[in-house]
Amino acid sequence: MDLGLRGKKAIVTGATKGIGRAIVELFAQEGADVALCARAEDEVASAVQELKGRGVNVFGDAVNVRDGEAYKAFLEKAAGALGGCDIFIPNVSAGGGFDSEKNWVKSFEVDVLHTVRGCEALMPHLEKSGSGSIVIIASTNALETFGVPQAYNAMKAALITYGKQLAQHVGRKGVRVNSVSPGPIYFDGGAWELVKGTMPKLYDWAIKQIPNGRMGTPEEIARVVAFVASPAASLISGSNVVADNGFTKRVQF
Amino acid sequence: MGSADDFLRRSQSPAFTPVKRVRPEDSPGTPAGKAPDPELGHEVIDQRRYFSAEFMQLEWEKMWTQVWLLGPRLIDIPEPGDYEVTEIGRESILVVRQEGGGVRAFYNVCQHRGNRLRAAGLGSTGDSRSFVCAYHHWEYELDGSYRRIPDLDTFPQGCPKGGLKEVHCDTWGGFAWFSLADRPEPLKSFLGPIPQHLEPYNLDRMVQTRDITVEWNCNWKTSVDAFNESYHVQGIHPQLLYYLHDLDIQIDCYEKHSRYLIPFGTLSPRVRKPPAIPEPIKTIMKGAGIDPADYDAPINNIRRDVQKHKRQYGKTQGRDYSRLNDDQLTDDYHYLIFPNLSLNVHADDFWIFRQRPHPTDPDRMFYDILTYDLVPEGQEWPERVRHRNWKHGDKSIGTVLDQDAANLPGVQAGMHSRGFGGLWIGRQELRIRHFHKVLDDYIYGPGGHPPGAP
Repeated sequence: MDLGLRGKKAIVTGATKGIGRAIVELFAQEGADVALCARAEDEVASAVQELKGRGVNVFGDAVNVRDGEAYKAFLEKAAGALGGCDIFIPNVSAGGGFDSEKNWVKSFEVDVLHTVRGCEALMPHLEKSGSGSIVIIASTNALETFGVPQAYNAMKAALITYGKQLAQHVGRKGVRVNSVSPGPIYFDGGAWELVKGTMPKLYDWAIKQIPNGRMGTPEEIARVVAFVASPAASLISGSNVVADNGFTKRVQF
Repeated sequence: MGSADDFLRRSQSPAFTPVKRVRPEDSPGTPAGKAPDPELGHEVIDQRRYFSAEFMQLEWEKMWTQVWLLGPRLIDIPEPGDYEVTEIGRESILVVRQEGGGVRAFYNVCQHRGNRLRAAGLGSTGDSRSFVCAYHHWEYELDGSYRRIPDLDTFPQGCPKGGLKEVHCDTWGGFAWFSLADRPEPLKSFLGPIPQHLEPYNLDRMVQTRDITVEWNCNWKTSVDAFNESYHVQGIHPQLLYYLHDLDIQIDCYEKHSRYLIPFGTLSPRVRKPPAIPEPIKTIMKGAGIDPADYDAPINNIRRDVQKHKRQYGKTQGRDYSRLNDDQLTDDYHYLIFPNLSLNVHADDFWIFRQRPHPTDPDRMFYDILTYDLVPEGQEWPERVRHRNWKHGDKSIGTVLDQDAANLPGVQAGMHSRGFGGLWIGRQELRIRHFHKVLDDYIYGPGGHPPGAP
């Protein structure tokens, strides 16, 4: 099946590591041009360098998406460098945290506002595309209770609702909006490696919740995201696609 | 199976960038400079010292009865007649606050028929200000002299000379110390550089928060060894790799005692940089008053930022760090006071782990956990915790110590094996070698070795 990604222009936030990195790698492999950002300059530079080896156009810059102005400037530069934008993947997250009220502010700004700002800033490009597509990276933490009552879970839930609403709003302009909710994803330097090291009981519990006892990989999420984002998924809009290897127990009708 | 090269490659310790440390000249209180490493060779350490009854006896005669040992904290025995009975080997020592305010120590044994006068632990004589033996009611003053011997006239030979047998007692660091030696070297000389190192900490401003004795199934030295090296962190405390630097550790061996300085609030080079601040490091930040949710800098900056934050806000939090260097505001200054005190000294708390031998069984020991927390100026002094006695496995003593406790009986069991050739000690374990050298100095004389050893 040809996903139809060749020649598409994709912007992915937070893409030097983990799920974001796997997504830009797969896009590049499928022949899409990619733009990416992350906070650490050296990591952006080395990701850009490696992706260029795939023979596609690559743009990258260091930015903290919490800084709205700098972030919007990055998006414009990225769309300019690629010559438009067909696909937008807001992937950055502040992650979990239960330390103080400030976690709520940070999660709101990083997870929610960065997604909303990105969708709004890039909408003119996405509308022009003819096959514009947004895939928000959510989490199964929004779907079932997990851990502590932290901002992360609630903000991911907000994103799923926002994505559904936005899909209704921009559908007539030919832009599809979906979210993908990964279950536990393990990778070197990832959150679950840290959990395994510092909270082994939580890690063991999570493994037991997965029927075959295996957490997902960033590459497996990237394949789901690439499909949902691609013209091949032309009928899928307003969905939240769960990719969790059976981690959650709810029935999704 | 791989080649010898594969073995070496797999076994290589990770490279790392050294942690920033204070310069010795920026540490006016506790010396921060590195002491030259002693040349102690690479020989194996004979494992028989961990279980042999003969060696246990030698230790008693040549070492335990010659050194200075930790007694009660002085604020725990404030009034005349307040005392602590502390046990070492088969002996039980009564440390008593005197009428004049001083402290003296005696063997806790009635001179009549050898009965113990008081049970182990803290206590008070109350208004009587005397110790009455429960057996025949021989009664002693706080200074050990006789107050009353019932029917003394029925002992034609009179009473034994002198009353309770006294042992040497002195004070330092807010604690009483005692020595069973006939003529011990002075306490200050025994402690060597330790007072200079520890006095900048506000030990007198700390309240006791744990007072637990756990019986462990291992030799006391098996436990001392475990606290004398950080090499086992990657083995049995993997969570600490997200809390401390287990390779960039400054080891300093002094004449009898030793220390190492462990950077806290930083990542081990053995783990990859995680996407979020690890919970253990968050604990350090919160302790200093930094909200991790508000912290956007790289994880590698945290240790230094905690130091700066404490330096800036310590005073307003009622915490006097003025005599401590910056590293002391985050790091673990870990001391071994020979023979049996492992100290983790921090700006805001102070832990003593004390290893005491079992009276008769070299395969068992008592592990005392004594911890103290800084009470900020202006805060009410809380009541100290009560002492508790546990057997290993009864109850959790915290994740890290549980991991040590679970591990040590296996080490002790293996020491007995015919398949074990003695302790193979690496550079990260230099303090272990130094500890056993000091022990050998006591047992076989200065520079001496066990018979048959090179």
